[in-house]
Amino acid sequence: MSGSTKQRIGGFLARQGILVAFALFMIGFTLANQRFLDPDNVMGVIRSSAILGVMALGVTFVVISGNLDLSVGSMMSFSTIVVLDLHDKIGPTLAIPAMFAMTLCLGAFIGFLVGYLKLNSLIVTLGMLSAIHGLTLTYSGGQNMDIADKANTWFGVFGQGNIVGIPVPILLFALLAAILGMMLSKTPFGRKVYAVGGNGTAATFSGIRRARVVFSCYLISAFCVATAGLIQASRSLGSQNTVGQGLELEVLAAVILGGASLLGGSGTIFKTVIGVLILGFIQNGLLLVGLQFYVQYVVTWIIIILAVWLDIAAKRGKLWSPIA
Amino acid sequence: MKLRTALAVTVATAALSGAATAETYKIGITQNNVGVDSYQTTYEKAFIAAAEANANVETVVLDAGGDVARQIAQMEDLIQQEVDAIIIWPTNGEAVIPAVRKAQQAGIPVIVTNSNIAEQGFDFVASFSGPDNITQGARSAEIMCEKFTEMGIQDEAQIVQISGQPGYTTAIERAKGFEDRLPEVCPNVTLMETQPGDWNREKSQKVMEAFLVKYDDIDGVYAGDDNMGVGALNAAKAAGREGIIFVGATNFAVGYEAMERGEYWGSIYQSPVDDAEAALQTAIDVLDGKDVPFLNYFDTPKITQDNMGDFTKPVF
Repeated sequence: MSGSTKQRIGGFLARQGILVAFALFMIGFTLANQRFLDPDNVMGVIRSSAILGVMALGVTFVVISGNLDLSVGSMMSFSTIVVLDLHDKIGPTLAIPAMFAMTLCLGAFIGFLVGYLKLNSLIVTLGMLSAIHGLTLTYSGGQNMDIADKANTWFGVFGQGNIVGIPVPILLFALLAAILGMMLSKTPFGRKVYAVGGNGTAATFSGIRRARVVFSCYLISAFCVATAGLIQASRSLGSQNTVGQGLELEVLAAVILGGASLLGGSGTIFKTVIGVLILGFIQNGLLLVGLQFYVQYVVTWIIIILAVWLDIAAKRGKLWSPIA
Repeated sequence: MKLRTALAVTVATAALSGAATAETYKIGITQNNVGVDSYQTTYEKAFIAAAEANANVETVVLDAGGDVARQIAQMEDLIQQEVDAIIIWPTNGEAVIPAVRKAQQAGIPVIVTNSNIAEQGFDFVASFSGPDNITQGARSAEIMCEKFTEMGIQDEAQIVQISGQPGYTTAIERAKGFEDRLPEVCPNVTLMETQPGDWNREKSQKVMEAFLVKYDDIDGVYAGDDNMGVGALNAAKAAGREGIIFVGATNFAVGYEAMERGEYWGSIYQSPVDDAEAALQTAIDVLDGKDVPFLNYFDTPKITQDNMGDFTKPVF
């Protein structure tokens, strides 16, 4: 092998360590259970990851801009419950934009607090996590929300439909990932997001309106959450109040697993997608292997640590380094 | 603090009817978390309605909002108010024991409703009123077995189980009841695997998707409640797998509707109205000095497509 090829492979590994880790897991699970790579299974995993994935796309923007969003789980419950409730009251055609508007209002509120009032995003969104949950419970009066006439509505198309054999949730996920990926990597706005997260003060002095960028990131996040809520509601045409509970941490795990830094300034949409897929396939793989479920919690965590370690080792060029 | 009192005027009615012998009882209740789900919301409404319908009962209705500290404070309030009996829906089976003990020492009988407190607190409790989860699990096994026998596959059927959240007493007891009873009624039915659905429809759907990939032949699914059962049903429908017998527990409206559509076979009918009325009646019986069993279960009957006409659709 010539030196330059070796360097190129080395460079690729350093950049895409997480992809290598992902490939290794896929091989491992396939060896453990032949069914793992069955097209139906792969399609099923991606379809059920789509909800988490769509949310993770938006949170990627927030994290790159140097902030956190812990409210996405509650917000997803909110949009799911709202769209289901409005479906029976004003019909799906009006219910969907109304739900998007309400969810965007929540996003704008958070964006205002974090962006313009410069409040700590951890505190704001942690507070919103329970505040929005309370809002959802108040809205629904604690009742489960179900569409009354499930047989005669086209609303199921977003969660259950297929276009040319591919489930609509996957298409929505891919479409959003493509658009947001372009936005982040190819537009001035995208560069501003990295700048604000990398060094907010420097960005401000360079004439970037930091508050506005942060505000926009939360709006994007809310938009993604609304889309996730739409898929969720459409998939089961009914929901518990707590449907999104705990998802905020899974979303954050996927984003971080993809290599975005919690300190802001780094991360890409593509890597977030890989992070989402890793989480989805781990959960599915462990189920297929048939591990006792108490063990699964532990194993999930071990695999995540391994993935992050592989990623960092690839960047360093060796598995272990005495200095960081 | 959410404080609602439902007062029943007794004197006038009692005097008019001439039945002035009955005493008026003041009964306090501290609930777990009203409003968090439809079951608890309906429970509270039914409790207040039952208390209003009984002229000899005056109630103080409190809700802990899922907060242990608040529930303990509410217990102390009720002791201060010198109510005749306290009904508690524990927010936590362990942490409320000292407060229960305090009430008992103050001479106020405590009735635990819906979910029991931990065993070390049993000495301080007059009675537990609630569903019997082990029997519920056992009855689900019977429903499943009867259906298999009717279909003639009782000797080869293979099933999977989707249980509730690991660590929850209700989840553990239902699974135990099911797993113990199934081999007694249908010894040749194989339970291939159990995985938790965490009481969550979406999670259960994911688990079922994996089961469907893993096992080519699934004849039945037992889910720890109908929410999870319907999640599993959705997965099977999406995968185009037909003929699977779904049996759940705690019949929810979604489960009832799926039964109407003929997609879901059966469940266990647990009414929050029965639950609330049983709790109030247990408290009254204790105060009347009647001999009340320590574990005072209310009946949770089997419901299947065959007999669902006898039951009204659950409101939750």
